[in-house]
Amino acid sequence: MTEEREPPPRRRDPGDLLRRVLIVVVLGAVAGVASAVLANAFVAAIGWLNDLLLISPRSRMMESRAWLVTLAIVAVPTLGGLVGGLLHRFIPDGRAHSPADLIAAVQTRKGRLPLRTGLLTGLSSLVSLGSGASVGQYGPLVHVGGTVGSALARLFRVGVTSDNIAIACGVAAAISTVFHAPIAGILFAHEVVLRHFALRAFAPVAVASVLGHVTAQLIWPQPPLFQVTEAEVAHLWEFGLFIVLGIASAGVAVAYMSALLRMARVAKRMKVPAVLRPAVAGLGLGLTALWVPDILGMGSETLRLAFIEGAFTQWELLLVMTLKLLATAWCLGMGFAGGVFSPALVIGSLFGALFGSVVGSLLGLDLSALVVYAVCGMVAVTAPVIGAPLTTVIIVLELTASYPLTIAALASVALANLIASRYFGRSLFDRQLTERGHDLSGGRSRAILQTHAIGELLSDEYVAVRPDASAREARDAIVAAASAEAYLVDARGYYAGTVHLHELLSADDSEPAQRWCDPNALSMREDETVWEAMNAMRHFVGEGMAVLDAEGRLVGTVYESDLINAYLELLEQMRKEEHATA
Amino acid sequence: MRPLDRLPTIGLLAIFLAAPAAGEEPLRIATWGGAYERVQREVLFEPFRERTGIAIETIAYNGGTEILENDPAPDIVDMAMSESLAACADDRLQSIQALELPPGSDGTPADMDFIGGARHRCALTHTVYATVIAYDARAFSGQRPSRVAHLFDTEAFPGQRALRKTPADNMEWALLASGVPRQELYDLLSTPRGLELAFRRLGGIRESIIWWEEGGEPVRLLESGRAVMASGYNGRFFNAQLDPDSNIEIIWDGQIQEYQTWVIPAGAGRAQAAREFIRFATRTGPLTALAERLAYGPARHSAEAQVRRHPEAGIDMRPHIPTHAYNSANAVAKDIDWYAHTIERIRERFRDWLESGDAASADQ
Repeated sequence: MTEEREPPPRRRDPGDLLRRVLIVVVLGAVAGVASAVLANAFVAAIGWLNDLLLISPRSRMMESRAWLVTLAIVAVPTLGGLVGGLLHRFIPDGRAHSPADLIAAVQTRKGRLPLRTGLLTGLSSLVSLGSGASVGQYGPLVHVGGTVGSALARLFRVGVTSDNIAIACGVAAAISTVFHAPIAGILFAHEVVLRHFALRAFAPVAVASVLGHVTAQLIWPQPPLFQVTEAEVAHLWEFGLFIVLGIASAGVAVAYMSALLRMARVAKRMKVPAVLRPAVAGLGLGLTALWVPDILGMGSETLRLAFIEGAFTQWELLLVMTLKLLATAWCLGMGFAGGVFSPALVIGSLFGALFGSVVGSLLGLDLSALVVYAVCGMVAVTAPVIGAPLTTVIIVLELTASYPLTIAALASVALANLIASRYFGRSLFDRQLTERGHDLSGGRSRAILQTHAIGELLSDEYVAVRPDASAREARDAIVAAASAEAYLVDARGYYAGTVHLHELLSADDSEPAQRWCDPNALSMREDETVWEAMNAMRHFVGEGMAVLDAEGRLVGTVYESDLINAYLELLEQMRKEEHATA
Repeated sequence: MRPLDRLPTIGLLAIFLAAPAAGEEPLRIATWGGAYERVQREVLFEPFRERTGIAIETIAYNGGTEILENDPAPDIVDMAMSESLAACADDRLQSIQALELPPGSDGTPADMDFIGGARHRCALTHTVYATVIAYDARAFSGQRPSRVAHLFDTEAFPGQRALRKTPADNMEWALLASGVPRQELYDLLSTPRGLELAFRRLGGIRESIIWWEEGGEPVRLLESGRAVMASGYNGRFFNAQLDPDSNIEIIWDGQIQEYQTWVIPAGAGRAQAAREFIRFATRTGPLTALAERLAYGPARHSAEAQVRRHPEAGIDMRPHIPTHAYNSANAVAKDIDWYAHTIERIRERFRDWLESGDAASADQ
């Protein structure tokens, strides 16, 4: 394979080992600090823009000119969409990137997140969030954090494995910073990004997460997402309700994710030019927000109010939850840059509150405080969306420092991910990747094999004869090359079939070789993947197969042994990355 | 500071210097009456007269900015910071930014000695006071109220509640009682839904509310037994507690801290003497003396460090001061910036709510 190699393994003397560990840990530390500062600056900038542009409830309340407040609700998201749409024209694939792109880079060992795309994605997300689009801030933060890690890895001139670890470090520090949750940061990096628990990765990721947490307290400290005054589980049997809530939440998560994907498809078919779509989305959102302002922006206040008994009626909970779900699908589908995490938190907490409130009044029971159900719903809707059950539970623990609340959340999450994955996929990110041709459900090795085209393994050591050659001519050519088969290729280079030496041996010298063509012979296009080649070869006996270009001209051959070698090399790299201690 | 802002100062200074000896016209200060004013007279007004020969006449004041429209305007008002900011934004106060303040008694420069946010263009903080909930210990023989939520729990703690006739404080407590963390109060009061919830919660105890307007009323209502719980200024309640037979107990949970400031109205006749007074009254000594008598937190760190015992009762005053660690665990810092921009509309909303009493309670 042409993939960049790890530095060749040298004799393991302790000094060298220590040096390599140190480089990666220092890399992690630098990535952690840089990512934390950027994350806090990002959150602060969103708050500043929201206040300036009359998006935050606080600024709207403090502005005495009612007409200005009304105008801002409609005009600001529209103009924000316009700016976002224009920004996307400067990104190579014309769209803002997401954690899915980051996961793909790490899982397929491509590494290297481009700096320009990362920065433009961050900037565009800042515009979306600053102007009140119904999108999340954590996705962009994760992407920016990972990009910072990757850029530093290039600066440190380390290999792909270390680049992946550096990406995970940036991600961990970003999550650690914005949720005030260093343990959750470490977990998220492992659960969602790396998807393995090698000690070699754990050390720098932990360093990044903790340093990021410390840095975040010092530079532009931001208030936590929410606080909980007190929350006790009143009755032990309510754990049964938490599990049921978790199952129901999986349904909400699947509905949310399906809406996101469907809206993205619908938007592509719309006649509106891509550059204008976010502006149209902003206009629609603003007009709806005149009626239900709760759907505007990230929705921190809506999330906090969902925890409070009596803030919403049951109908309002249902209405705001549904509108928030649709508004988020609408904004993201139409091309606003932003994440799916924060809206999932809002939708989930509204759903949890609705569940607790409805069950309480239906059964006529005195349940635990509403906040317990809201938090359970929040976690159980979010975990399937981001594919990180442990992370979300630990976020609750670190944000609230409430153990009873954490265990309640754990009960809800227990089945949510499993059920949602049955009906949708491991997470929204994995599903997005599948749609782009990276299927992670078959494990990492398959994903990697799918990213390499067989064109990379081409050999030109093959025997070619004209289609009208006689059996004798073909036989002599094969023997001369000490091979066992030959390809029939016409004057213009088009492939016409394969003949085997053992078939030709029983043919008359003058017979046309074409008659002995193998009807089961395999040929593949050069842009087909190694994964497809390996599958095709499962029931095939032979030396190799013909590889053709898009028009059907022969470009070379791929030997079975090369495929096996490529696969073994890949397994070896993965083994090193996932199980090595240093 | 823009140079033009200094012009009135210089002009007034000239008038003051041109005038012969001060003394014939008293300095008119609007302040809060009762024990509070008595202590101010003892530790501020009288010493000031002895030092400068300027007598001080007080005007009864119960908060608000309407007093600035009086004719003649008072020379100084003892105004809550939130109202000072609102009045300042409307150019109804004189700038006192250029006022030079002496260092603390320990030599700390004034800028570092005053607590954070104490100085503003138009206002200088002298004390941190807290609005707290107190109760009549005689009324609850069993479980006693200890949380803000108990103010709204007329089942467990039946009886009349005396609350100040303002939206401020009552809205905060309504949300605290609903489980809103103290750090999120003003963000949620900014949403129509949060504001609505606060008024609905207040509506739940509407039948049990006695409204008070003057700072001494809640003490009298509790002492007479007409109310079993009351909001009020911690200093007033402390003053009543100095009586060994007092029935008043303070709930420190959810205390709302606010800065009390000296301001000079735009139409003040004796601005220079007013400046002189403010400089005199905010030195370490007078601030310490006020805190030791009124149980308010002083605005200077050097004064906080000197607070010891009440001069007559002899009790240690530190546990009675709102800013003390024992009392401030769940204290709410009043968001004065928020109030400065919203107070008019919130008041309007409050008046509507008061008037539409029956309609709102029918909504429940």
